[in-house]
Amino acid sequence: MNDAAAAEDLELVRGIKTGDDSAFEKMVKRYHARVYSLAYGVLRNPEDAEEATQDAFWTLYRKIGTFDESKKFFSWFYRVALNAAYSRARRRPSLPTTSIEDRMPRFSSDGHFTIDVPDWSVAIEDEAAARELAARAGEIINELPPAYRDVIWMYDVEEMPSSEVAETLEISIPAFKSRLHRARLYVRERLAELQSAKPAERSGAKPAAGAAG
Amino acid sequence: MSHDEVTCEKLILECLLDFEDGTMPEADRVELQRHFEMCPPCLNFLTTYRATGRTLKMLKPREVPPALVETVMIFIRKRCKKEGG
Repeated sequence: MNDAAAAEDLELVRGIKTGDDSAFEKMVKRYHARVYSLAYGVLRNPEDAEEATQDAFWTLYRKIGTFDESKKFFSWFYRVALNAAYSRARRRPSLPTTSIEDRMPRFSSDGHFTIDVPDWSVAIEDEAAARELAARAGEIINELPPAYRDVIWMYDVEEMPSSEVAETLEISIPAFKSRLHRARLYVRERLAELQSAKPAERSGAKPAAGAAG
Repeated sequence: MSHDEVTCEKLILECLLDFEDGTMPEADRVELQRHFEMCPPCLNFLTTYRATGRTLKMLKPREVPPALVETVMIFIRKRCKKEGG
């Protein structure tokens, strides 16, 4: 987000704070697509995403007075929107929680892989299969602790620049990178588990590579 | 980074992200590339790490409902009325 965009945001924020409805509507026009996109990614359902978008703007409307104008508006609002989406996601039956540590790659004492690493990437060459896997990836991300979940959503799904993610979450770039990598490792491993549970002819998995170093 | 230091563990846990996002010095990159060429498990790991990234990008919706702005505005006005805002 550049300075001009941030200045425009601030002008609208000030308008909303003084009760200017047209400023609020401009803000909705400005950010509805990004908020919806974020909510859809979390909820994977158009109706729920639409309702989460409404929730986010309702929170914006009510809480804009608490926004500190020395900060970037979008960083604040992005977190509002993320919370609105996850709040709806939590109303669904909860998924079993899993430990990130349990899904980190394992190595021998001399630092080599101790298990086979199958290449399941061919499975996503088929668009329908790829979409099915993406839907599962959305569920998998929701298993992550929020600190990891938010980073991977913002960077890998929303494709926000790393600096913007770090700023929004108020973390350093090294912390951002560490969380992103661990979150990706977790999601990769869970997707690998899903693929290995499928019959080989369906997943299209290539033969596993041996555990050599 | 000397060749002796490049184990699968170091590569996957410590270097993979820098390798992928292009922030790694070229000499280190060449070293890791050599490891990938000689190590099928690491190569498969890299391939599926990238596939994971491509899968995640598909989570973005293809389209936003055309009347969403209007829907949001109607919702907000109703809530305001209801709550006397």
